[in-house]
Amino acid sequence: MSEERLIKLELGRLNIHLPERRVSLKEALSSPKPCVVTRDGGTHLFKREELDFLAKLLPEAERERLQLPILIAIDPKLGRGAARISGEVEVKVAAAILGKKAEGELLIYRPEVALLRRKLPTTTQYFFVPG
Amino acid sequence: MMAAVIAVAPTRMELIKLRRRVGLAQRGHDLLREKMDALVIEFFEILRRIRGVRERAFTQLGVAFKRLSRCCAAMGTIETTQAAREARRELQVEVGTRHVMGVVVPVLEAVEVERPPTARGYSIHTTSALLDEASKEFERALKLLLELAELEESARAVGRELERTKRRVNALEYVIIPRLRAVVKFISMRLDEMERENFSRLKRIKAILERRG
Amino acid sequence: MSFKIAVIGDRDTAIGFALAGATYTHVHVEKESTLSKLTELLAARDVGVLLITHRVAEGLEPELRWVMREKGVFPVVLKIPDKTGHVPRVDELLEVIRRTVGAEVVVRAEAG
Repeated sequence: MSEERLIKLELGRLNIHLPERRVSLKEALSSPKPCVVTRDGGTHLFKREELDFLAKLLPEAERERLQLPILIAIDPKLGRGAARISGEVEVKVAAAILGKKAEGELLIYRPEVALLRRKLPTTTQYFFVPG
Repeated sequence: MMAAVIAVAPTRMELIKLRRRVGLAQRGHDLLREKMDALVIEFFEILRRIRGVRERAFTQLGVAFKRLSRCCAAMGTIETTQAAREARRELQVEVGTRHVMGVVVPVLEAVEVERPPTARGYSIHTTSALLDEASKEFERALKLLLELAELEESARAVGRELERTKRRVNALEYVIIPRLRAVVKFISMRLDEMERENFSRLKRIKAILERRG
Repeated sequence: MSFKIAVIGDRDTAIGFALAGATYTHVHVEKESTLSKLTELLAARDVGVLLITHRVAEGLEPELRWVMREKGVFPVVLKIPDKTGHVPRVDELLEVIRRTVGAEVVVRAEAG
């Protein structure tokens, strides 16, 4: 049974970097030290230049709806290297950065994931779908 | 680690349990491999940024050292050392953390590294302009070095996690899953064999009963 | 949270960074006292970054490796060249890459 325990341990660690509660872009912009608390009790800082960049992409009304960090969902069922972005405003932002059309859920591939991560290293996070 | 032999009784119950273990191991492997792929992306992005900063930082540091030796030559080493002692040496660095998946990585931000000569603490009147120049170049160098420090530490931390994850993925792919699959196959074949033996025995019994009656 | 900068190196390095605002500086004279100072600075609660020259760092081996292993995320330690521009033959970071993703990738990385 030892490999089961090992696997369950690793799977448990997969999403440990995600926050208990996400914050809206609006909230982050107005905070002196924009950050979230991760599931293992750590702090994850948002870089101000990323927040400002996101603010430029969205009208004020939508800044409240954008939840940070934006989740890049990795589901093995989608195939290796594929990822999904969900949420109307999140999709709008990602599509703008990637130069794609914003429609429903966005399915992206490895080079696009890399580009998103390069542009928004602290305001995006990977989410591994346990399935 | 795991026992070299998985000792299981060849029953249908065990086969079901084993198949479940294979499923979990396969799912674990696939997810960990995605994590590994993601870590590779992060790792190379950090390296790319390091390449951009490192040369600039070290070149700037070289410039700073040259200015300093010029200053020492003009002002004298003792006077320069004295000025360094008098300087305001309370530069603050804002320190934070960010997470790259499970890896905690430092975030450094210097507060006002570059200062006007009057703010540095040494007397303007008794020191040469060369001192101001040397200080300015070192301030510039320090700013770049802080950026580099953050990046190099990040590369080390992400690299370590990548290595670890790679080992797990390989262990699953090349050792654990093949072993489990082999046992599943063995048990499955054994069960089929036992069923065939059973079936033959029943046929023989039926034949005997028919002959009697 | 605000933290200070520490520097360990030769005299010129210490002077230069002191002028730039580094709070703690240590001029390396001999191994024992430098190692002791390094340990002290790594444990200090107000040091956020520690710069140390490659030359001094090499002189502190093999104990340095052990001391660094005990370190947490902070302070962040960076090895820097001194005024001679001395950097070790083996690039530590390149070694990390080699171990992590293999030799062929290193060739590509070195080629830029």
